[in-house]
Amino acid sequence: MVLEKEVFKEFEVAVGVGNVNDGEVITDVYAYNWCNEMFNFMEEKEPIPYSPRPKAVILPSTTEEVQKIVKLCNKYGIQFKAQSTGLGPWNSVSTDNSIIVDLRRMNRIVKIDKKNLYAVVEPYVSGAQLQVEIMKHGLNCHMPGAGPQVSPLASATSMNGPGFTSPSTGHSSRNVLGVEWVLPDGEIMKLGSWGLKNYPDWFIGDGPGPSLRGIMRGWAGAKSGIGIFTRVAVKLFPYPCSTDFKISGHSPNYDFKKPDFMRLYVIDCKNLKRLDEIIIEIEKEEISFMCSYLSGLAVMAIFANSIGQLMNLMPVGSLKSPLIIIIAARTKREYEYKQKVMDLIMQRYKLKDIIGKQYTPNSVFYGEALRSNLGLHGFIATGGFQSSCGVADSAKICLNTSQLNIPLKKIYIKKEALANDFGEGGWMSSYESGHYFHFESPTMFDQKNKHSVKGMAEYMVRSNQLHLLKHLGAPFFVEGDRMHDIFGPHMCNHNIWLRKIKTTFDPNNIADGGFYITPKKD
Amino acid sequence: MNKANKYSPENCKWVPQLQIKSQKYATICPAIDEYNFHPYSGGGKIIIALSYQMGRIKPSDELRDIVYKCTECGGCDVSCKFLNNLEPLEIIRELRERLVKDGCGPMPAQQKYIESVKKVNNPYNEPHEKRMDWLPNDVQTDPNSKILFYVGCTASYRRKEMAIATARVMNAAGIKFRLLEDETCCGSPVLRTGVKDVFLEAMNKNLDAIEALDVDTVVFTCAGCYDTFKVDYHLNRNYNFKVIHAVELFDELIRSGELKLTKEVPLTVTYHDPCHLGRNAERYEEWDGDEVQILPLVSINIPPKPKRCGAKGVYDPPRNILKSIPGLKFIEMERIMEYSYCCGAGAGVKSAFPEFALNTALTRLEEAEDTGADTLISACPFCSTNLQDGIKEKSSKLNFYDISELILMALGIDIGKIKEEAGEVA
Repeated sequence: MVLEKEVFKEFEVAVGVGNVNDGEVITDVYAYNWCNEMFNFMEEKEPIPYSPRPKAVILPSTTEEVQKIVKLCNKYGIQFKAQSTGLGPWNSVSTDNSIIVDLRRMNRIVKIDKKNLYAVVEPYVSGAQLQVEIMKHGLNCHMPGAGPQVSPLASATSMNGPGFTSPSTGHSSRNVLGVEWVLPDGEIMKLGSWGLKNYPDWFIGDGPGPSLRGIMRGWAGAKSGIGIFTRVAVKLFPYPCSTDFKISGHSPNYDFKKPDFMRLYVIDCKNLKRLDEIIIEIEKEEISFMCSYLSGLAVMAIFANSIGQLMNLMPVGSLKSPLIIIIAARTKREYEYKQKVMDLIMQRYKLKDIIGKQYTPNSVFYGEALRSNLGLHGFIATGGFQSSCGVADSAKICLNTSQLNIPLKKIYIKKEALANDFGEGGWMSSYESGHYFHFESPTMFDQKNKHSVKGMAEYMVRSNQLHLLKHLGAPFFVEGDRMHDIFGPHMCNHNIWLRKIKTTFDPNNIADGGFYITPKKD
Repeated sequence: MNKANKYSPENCKWVPQLQIKSQKYATICPAIDEYNFHPYSGGGKIIIALSYQMGRIKPSDELRDIVYKCTECGGCDVSCKFLNNLEPLEIIRELRERLVKDGCGPMPAQQKYIESVKKVNNPYNEPHEKRMDWLPNDVQTDPNSKILFYVGCTASYRRKEMAIATARVMNAAGIKFRLLEDETCCGSPVLRTGVKDVFLEAMNKNLDAIEALDVDTVVFTCAGCYDTFKVDYHLNRNYNFKVIHAVELFDELIRSGELKLTKEVPLTVTYHDPCHLGRNAERYEEWDGDEVQILPLVSINIPPKPKRCGAKGVYDPPRNILKSIPGLKFIEMERIMEYSYCCGAGAGVKSAFPEFALNTALTRLEEAEDTGADTLISACPFCSTNLQDGIKEKSSKLNFYDISELILMALGIDIGKIKEEAGEVA
């Protein structure tokens, strides 16, 4: 269903000729996304990787243009779905009455405040772009596990946001400061110190008055279901080591000259009980740049850049309860201190580091760790991957989630719907010195194989049910009406509250709430 | 197109993440940079291929426009394959071939030059008998040489200074070479638009003519012809001679002392890697293995299948040459070698979408200017034309030379005369 001519013209006036398109090819490509097939199956539709086609795709370049688009949507009763770097089904429209607002032309780094450690970015600035600019000032930013090619703004405002460097860069939900937000009625809301009447600046995320951060993003973001975020300030952190990188050679076998004060440890904690103690011990000391528990296959994946290489990494894949730790420092003294602390912890728990003995990674691993590229390795084995579970809690709950999920996953591995990771596929990382942890279970399936897609979808549904049965907290994918209404009664009726927020902020139901919530129920 | 239905994490729009050196020069795809909508990117074109295969979209002007607004530079291919085993460039090419078969391609402007190739053996509709007019009287050729200089249509008719300079450098080094009397278009501009049958005809004509001679090496000054002979001919028909680009020959001659660069060239230069000489000049390695399922859903290639990531392009020879010129200062741009940014001219874009080609050149020129260089060097007549068009358009202060012209300067040969000769016969 395309736009009526007059409506098309009005959008064109708002954003300029050439920036609105309702052609069959353009809209069909925007209907495609990774994992749409799985969500289609969950909705009892054909498991193809396409959502409904958007009515049109629109490319604004300023906040004012976004406002105009949203106001036109209200005028004509058309829904909108905004996307920035566009990774994942959450960027797809859920009805055939929606347009896509592609924020690609909003790609400016508005401000880097070196002194107060924050940067203000627009939606299409990628993590890698922000990182490379702040690295020039010796600074780093948090990068979600999805990789450096995705938008820090999207992660901070609208998605979940765990990442591999979490011990030193936190979580997207905690890193968001001032926000500029085009509400579903077209008005602009400024959050935090950016909303101050006098001397507005971006340095605080909460207030003025009651903080709206929870309403804006909650646990996993509204995926554009509550408006469009056009600028956001995110926290910056000191880069953990020298930023004077040397990378040579050619793709894919780049050589990376590891900075002087950087060391990788891969240790086997032997069992998860010990791992729980050890990871907390390490994180309490605040020495790690990266510290993650990964299942055997996931450890193999982060060290490989092809399936062939992955299969040659059995020695690291056979570790029972591995911890991957990177320490990095700016000075020799700091480096020695961190190593000394690690040595003491390792002595106390009788741990052995396999790096340099049983295994030595290619130098490019260090480059990928520093440039936050490791998450993309999840696609190596089958080409398709998605995470189930997804919990933020204590290490114990996270590891318990991991263990309880194994028998379920094994059912689908036995059915040959999922790739065999012995049911263990898992990634857990710590936040804020071990105060809380994030766990998810990356699971490999084949997008081209219907049996695999159906199996993956069933497994996802049953994984979520498991969270309820075993009281494991809210998983990643509590999205859309159906899931919120299942989980709501078990979680303080959050679905009722969420719907109230939606209807208050979006009285005309203009922001496509397919992956958020819609006002249709009481 | 069976490879189309796979996840692509959108790396296709960026240079390989580890190589991003600034926000300004982080992107790799000229098409998405120009047109912004996702379908213009490598990933977007993979989705188009899937949609077309599934019958979700039909042949249309819209489809043709999007598919042909791509320089086939292969940037998406390199970035994607750092971790994935997708083949974006192969999919784009196959998609064009499919559109041609379905009567939806190529673009009208491209069809015009394809007719010209069929009629007069060059895409410029120039008389075939004037093909050798670039050759100055004092350039020595040897009809019995084992080395053939394949000049190509663009250097023969449009960038004569490249043909002349290459010939003169070979003369200066004492390299005897011959020319192909009945040289015809290599077929590159035809192949890139998806018109495979006309390409195969051109290929067979050239290979038959060259194989009838007693030559063991063919030298190219045109990166496009070189890539086509080296990679595309090789994919379609075996031949019994070696192909090298002039920069490879000159680098060898400089290193062996046969070519002595003694004259100071006081320029600060930066070098633009042509896609045809860089990442796309990597041959597909033969692989006679099997895809073996080792676990449910997990397959590996046995033996491992070589990944064509652009690593084996011609990168060092031009750089070695520049570094061996006395008095010359060489500075790199940010996007180089296998992740170089395209000049914007390739795959029929210059003829069908001149504005897109020019804008891409302007982007590349800005990157060259940002290095602080006063001179831009390259080794491809298409890049030369498009980048010089860009220099003119933006009134840039950059000089532009083909690398062979720079060698002549370092040999103390007046290149003003060459420009004159090229101008006279242009």
